[in-house]
Amino acid sequence: MIYIKLFLEFFHIGLFSFGGGYSTLPFLYHIAETREWYTVQQLSDMIAISSVTPGPVGINVATFAGFITAGLPGSMIATFAVVLPSFIIVIIISKLLEKFKKNKYVQSVIYMLKPTGCGLLAAVGIDMFINNINLLGFFLLAALFMASLSDKRSPLFYLGISAVFGLVAGFFNLTS
Amino acid sequence: MEKTFYNIFKTFFKVGCILLGGGYVILPILQHELVEKKQWIDDDELCEYFALGQSVPGIIAANISIFTGYKLNGTIGAIAAISGVIMPAFITIVILANIFEQIVHLKFMQSIFWGVGIGVLILIILAVRELWQKSITDRFSFFIFFAAFALSACFKAPPAVVVILAIFIGIWLQYQRRLEFGDDEE
Repeated sequence: MIYIKLFLEFFHIGLFSFGGGYSTLPFLYHIAETREWYTVQQLSDMIAISSVTPGPVGINVATFAGFITAGLPGSMIATFAVVLPSFIIVIIISKLLEKFKKNKYVQSVIYMLKPTGCGLLAAVGIDMFINNINLLGFFLLAALFMASLSDKRSPLFYLGISAVFGLVAGFFNLTS
Repeated sequence: MEKTFYNIFKTFFKVGCILLGGGYVILPILQHELVEKKQWIDDDELCEYFALGQSVPGIIAANISIFTGYKLNGTIGAIAAISGVIMPAFITIVILANIFEQIVHLKFMQSIFWGVGIGVLILIILAVRELWQKSITDRFSFFIFFAAFALSACFKAPPAVVVILAIFIGIWLQYQRRLEFGDDEE
């Protein structure tokens, strides 16, 4: 039955994609190749468009695949299935953390996690910088950075300005 | 603002609406909405959830939302947070499912993708700057920051491996302290 298949396939992605970022992509490509739910081309389009639609790409693809194979119920099942493993695992870890908060080993681990998290995010930033930046992009980035120095602004401010800037730059063929 | 199901749902729905450009953007958004505006969590906790969120299976933005929701109001909070954050994504894709193939190849959409890519980058940079001020407090934490950065950026180590390594070092350090000072559970 299609609903059960969708559930199992996306539950499997939620359970085994590991390490954040685009770690769901290999699984999603695998589905494109082995099932007839969506094509590789549709998946590439989906990845592109998910940068301007709300939500992470893994969830977007789950909703999309569910919807085109089995309509609204299918999209609900696939989306639910992809976050269910996260939900169960994170709740268990949160409960354990709560219980052992006072334990010195747990405190020592938490102390380690802060700079580690910061370092990992910096690595994501460098990676994006190397892969996406060109001269015009660098100019935009510098301008936005200057704007951030004078005032705290909302994330939507930066995303909105850059989208409009991209649109105008594209109009004059400057983005590539 | 009280941490009720409805308020948590509403807040994460808003977070979900601006969650453009991939899962990592959730970090600057939560920083803005939950740390600065609502003061429901602090930067330290956010950093911790980010590291933990990468070391458990699943989609990172979902993991961070569940950790944060649980912290705010237990399992109820976690349900509110995850359903709030995926709802805008769900609605958008269901609406666009039949037409997105036509949209994606339009030239002006490509230009917007390009622009948003830069917007995401500045958000990541600003988030790192913010977290840096809170989490890098001495030479040791700088060393850990640098090691995690280098492993991930230069050696392409999967984030989960880096986090698990950090967890083991944390345990080992505490073990050493106990040997040295007889520092027992108190």
